[in-house]
Amino acid sequence: MNWEQDLAGEKPELEQALRHFKASVDAWSDAAYHQPRTAAKSAVRHSWRMATGWALGCLLAVGSLAGAGHEIYHRQELAKIAAEKAAQKAAEERAAAARVSAQPASVQPEKKTPAATTRKASSTQDSAQSQDEDLLATVDNDVSRGVPAAMEPLAALMDDGGAQ
Amino acid sequence: MRRRGASTKVMAAGTAVKPMTVEAAEEIAAQEFARIVETHRPQIFRFLLASLRDMDLAETLTQECFLKAHRNWSRFRGDSSAMTWLMRIAINLQKDYWRNRRIQFWRQTRTNAVDLDEASEWLPNGERNAEQQMLAREQVAQVWQAVKGLSERQRTVFLLRYVEERELSEIAAATGLSEGTVKAHLSRALGRVRTELRGTR
Repeated sequence: MNWEQDLAGEKPELEQALRHFKASVDAWSDAAYHQPRTAAKSAVRHSWRMATGWALGCLLAVGSLAGAGHEIYHRQELAKIAAEKAAQKAAEERAAAARVSAQPASVQPEKKTPAATTRKASSTQDSAQSQDEDLLATVDNDVSRGVPAAMEPLAALMDDGGAQ
Repeated sequence: MRRRGASTKVMAAGTAVKPMTVEAAEEIAAQEFARIVETHRPQIFRFLLASLRDMDLAETLTQECFLKAHRNWSRFRGDSSAMTWLMRIAINLQKDYWRNRRIQFWRQTRTNAVDLDEASEWLPNGERNAEQQMLAREQVAQVWQAVKGLSERQRTVFLLRYVEERELSEIAAATGLSEGTVKAHLSRALGRVRTELRGTR
């Protein structure tokens, strides 16, 4: 489409519309241009308010996300610790069960009655006590033997006396 | 011709001419710029108002336009008229504005742009009767409707031609387009206006 032809062929209605349009824009612009304006300050305040709102919003969002993340991490840690404890306990139980099953069948109690349990407990206590006494005697013996060289004859006499 | 320096120069005719000091040159440049602002400010404001349909924004961009022009005034070589140069700055500012609006589409920006009906209400008080006034208002509304449907470049070219009444060469210089492209844009814009005028008849 040729622009020159376009303009030449313009109808009076189009020309009139364009003339009116220009007059309208001129009138509007004149009125707006001479109108006192106090928008600059409010615009600045508005932008500050908006910026503050955005900043606070972002802070809140980041805080929420960080809190949620920390909570999830904390829970995972607790679950891990609980699982480790459970696994440890299970392993201990397994080891105890293995120890019990490894003992000879004769030693194993046939029936676990309260009386038998009491008897077993007292015998275990007795044996532990006798083991302790043996150990202490050995230690005393060792300590008494470890005397300085100058006291050696006296120690020999005491041994002899004890033997007699 | 401006010269900077403190020495005097004796002209051929024998008259001694005091060369201009830097301060005096700056003073003259400032006066010249102030005159340009006074002359062209309403035109730049009108173009931006018609492009954006927002008084506050048009005012802000007009101020920015002259601020930019003031900063670069020393670089203005006068290849084109001051008006063309200023118009070019205004067009670039407007482009930047639309680009930013497109980028920040997610942001709820408050716009003061008036709607087309309000823009169409403005008519000069002539000696026309009520019927002619109504017809004129209707035509203005139709042209605004057509302008709304134009692309950014078409709208700029259309407003420069039919509101600012610039020559094609000036429009080409201000927009950085070739004259052929300007004609093509004008032709399409006029076609749109014609269709709008026909469509509502």
